[in-house]
Amino acid sequence: MTDTVTIPTPDVRADRWAAIGRWAKEQYPLYILIVLLIVAGLTSDAFFTPRNLANLILQTSVIGIVTLAQFLIVLTGGIDISVGSVLGLSGVLAAGLLSGSNVIMAIAIAVAVGAAIGAINGYLVAFRGLEPFIVTLGMLALARGLVYAYTEGSPVRPEAADFRGIATATVAGIPVIGILWLALALVVGFITRRTVLGRRIYAVGSSKEAAHASGIPVRSTLLVTYIMAGVLIGFAGFLLASRVGAGTPTAGTLYELDAIAAVVIGGTALSGGRGRVFGAVVGTLIFGVITNLLVLLNVSTFLQDAFRGALILIAILLTTFQFSRRRARPTIS
Amino acid sequence: MSSHDDKRSPVPAFHLDGVSKSYPGVHALRDVTLEGYPGEVLAICGANGAGKSTMARLLAGQETPTSGSVRIGSHGQIRKPADAEAAGVLLMHQEPLVIEDFTVEENVWLTSLSSADGVKAWGTVRRDRGARTREALDAVGLSDLDPRTPVRSLGPGPRQMLALSRTSVNHHKVLLLDETTASTTEEHFRDVLELVDRERAAGVCVVFVSHRMPEVFAMADRIAVLRNGQLVDVVRTADTDPDEILTMMIGEAVSALEPFDMKPDPAADPILEVRGLSSGSAHDIDLDVRPGEIVGIYGLVGSGRSSIARSISGHQDRRTGTVRVRGRPIPSGSPRRALEKGIAYLSEDRRREGFVPAFTNALNLTLATPGQDSRWGVINRRAEKARVATLLKRYQVKGGAETMTRSLSGGNQQKVCIAKWLEATPEVMVLDEPTKGIDVRARLNIYEIVRDLATGGKGVVVVTSEAEEALKLCSRILVLRDGAVVGTYDPLTSTTDDLIRASLGGDIS
Repeated sequence: MTDTVTIPTPDVRADRWAAIGRWAKEQYPLYILIVLLIVAGLTSDAFFTPRNLANLILQTSVIGIVTLAQFLIVLTGGIDISVGSVLGLSGVLAAGLLSGSNVIMAIAIAVAVGAAIGAINGYLVAFRGLEPFIVTLGMLALARGLVYAYTEGSPVRPEAADFRGIATATVAGIPVIGILWLALALVVGFITRRTVLGRRIYAVGSSKEAAHASGIPVRSTLLVTYIMAGVLIGFAGFLLASRVGAGTPTAGTLYELDAIAAVVIGGTALSGGRGRVFGAVVGTLIFGVITNLLVLLNVSTFLQDAFRGALILIAILLTTFQFSRRRARPTIS
Repeated sequence: MSSHDDKRSPVPAFHLDGVSKSYPGVHALRDVTLEGYPGEVLAICGANGAGKSTMARLLAGQETPTSGSVRIGSHGQIRKPADAEAAGVLLMHQEPLVIEDFTVEENVWLTSLSSADGVKAWGTVRRDRGARTREALDAVGLSDLDPRTPVRSLGPGPRQMLALSRTSVNHHKVLLLDETTASTTEEHFRDVLELVDRERAAGVCVVFVSHRMPEVFAMADRIAVLRNGQLVDVVRTADTDPDEILTMMIGEAVSALEPFDMKPDPAADPILEVRGLSSGSAHDIDLDVRPGEIVGIYGLVGSGRSSIARSISGHQDRRTGTVRVRGRPIPSGSPRRALEKGIAYLSEDRRREGFVPAFTNALNLTLATPGQDSRWGVINRRAEKARVATLLKRYQVKGGAETMTRSLSGGNQQKVCIAKWLEATPEVMVLDEPTKGIDVRARLNIYEIVRDLATGGKGVVVVTSEAEEALKLCSRILVLRDGAVVGTYDPLTSTTDDLIRASLGGDIS
């Protein structure tokens, strides 16, 4: 084959527009977010103030990083309901071990705890063939139990004076923690879309049989993915402890639900193999904006949960419209 | 066969009147008018994409026509599956409709669930059900199958026959067989034939959708040929021959494939050496493949043919024996390491193992070799795009890089799967039923690809359940029976009869 593919320019341009059109058609979470932002601007004067927006970013960044971890696991066709507990455990250990005297060591401890638990989950799922749900259900109870045992129920205060530094710092008014979230999202996006490992994650998530038969190392791909997710969760655990200024025993409780919901709202298929990191980020923002807005509007905390629940249902209902329209397209047989 | 035509009832069993069906951008059927009569077998032939399956779906009420009308018997218009079922239409799919977690018996009676016949919540199983299940299974050649076996443990062939066994416990006037024989093999052929004869004698109108000429000519009274959604002609089987039908199907005469006469250098060292291999139902297999040789492995289901293919390529564990490619041993049970050592396996089960369903053509084509365009694990997208474009062109895959592979026809899917493997440049390519469920033209494409491989000095092993394919494609054929090689045949001096006899063991008439 010596002939090279030469395509006239207009076609390229038409292709690009078609690609943009296809992309735009699938961005329903983005549209939900835009509608939410408009509603927020109309109903609350306080929403679009720099202070509130910085606050919003601060509130969503930690759960945003946890959602990135959840996104990776869901891409492989798994689910991780231990994220909240593992986040809590890495937070209290980062603040408590070595008395929390050194920030760098605290980060290293948090990340190592997350990675170790990720490795255990990954080993059980990949090499022992256990269901991710059950494995992480066990880990959820185990990690939370360890948190309570270690803290005896009260917050652990670190000694280092600059422990809160990262979480409170801002660059041009933007919280550093938000920039970290964005950077990690880009890293996860790069890994999933541009690397051989990412290719393997998608293939394993879509069909383990086809991936195995095609010479993809299914087990090690799964293990590596769980470890990567663990690293993200551990780091998020440190950030939360840093923001609060202490390792609190209840930190991260029920984060797993928000993370799973954000991943699904972002268009990632729970069956695995399909989804983009951009969707996971948008999904997190949708949650962040609605929580923030409900607070600004003085909606009672009890009703807030109902609103969030309704939002999840509406958003996943929208995904069914999107997917059924695609499915209805004929296959050329 | 022609006596049926004479007794034909004047009331049609089904009637398609000026039926068109279009999907966005595709005219699947255009102005088709066709009738089928009780007690006749009507074959619907056409290449992939000609509209055969659309027609079957219209008759079963799964699709409504864009224009025109579909009537079954005296029932009137068919608009939904319930209409068709009430009118007595039974559809048998290309993929057997069975529930894996149910037993064989429960699957035989599956369709009676929808009519609540004997399976009402407060109902009890009919007393004679056991005996009727046995009869139904015997009638399709599954007499040694225990009705309590879970279907999960059955292979594709028995599953399809199991689905077909429902014809004897069901009341129907029109039986649609939509490429039903694609996953069955030759030994079930006679069972299908008998089943169709029984149905015909019982006054059922059998609509047989297929592109396999031997089956069409063995069964059909009339043949309707579709091309690009249009009805080309309806002819009586007695008045035509396979060549004419094939010509009508693809609109041009097919050049017959010459037998493969390239003989490998007998002095050359074998590229693949298998010694004392036992795995699954195969035992003590010795096999040599020299460069440029296409070795066929022919046998019935359960003869061990797939076990050989899967175990030499690392897809199945070996009990004993060694496999060497160019002298290097291939470890057991790891497709990945087998591929690294130069042996690739094209799976018989394309949908499950061949390609990743959520992937586009581009991603599936590079699935086995993502590293080729990457450095430090990072993929160079421009290089990959260029490689994919070349591959699509070289293997004549319909659809672009961004088309989902699962939306392609079987033939194009198979080309993607083969291309995926050839990108890994294996020394030995093992192909398991490479043309299963694939139409005439794509089949020729695939034969060409396989021969090019051999001509290029690679070793090829083709596992097939079609004697004719083995004779056309291979340079040497091993026949298996009960897990052992019972003979080696030269395709230039053998006939399909020789192979079938050897595979069955002893004389058949």
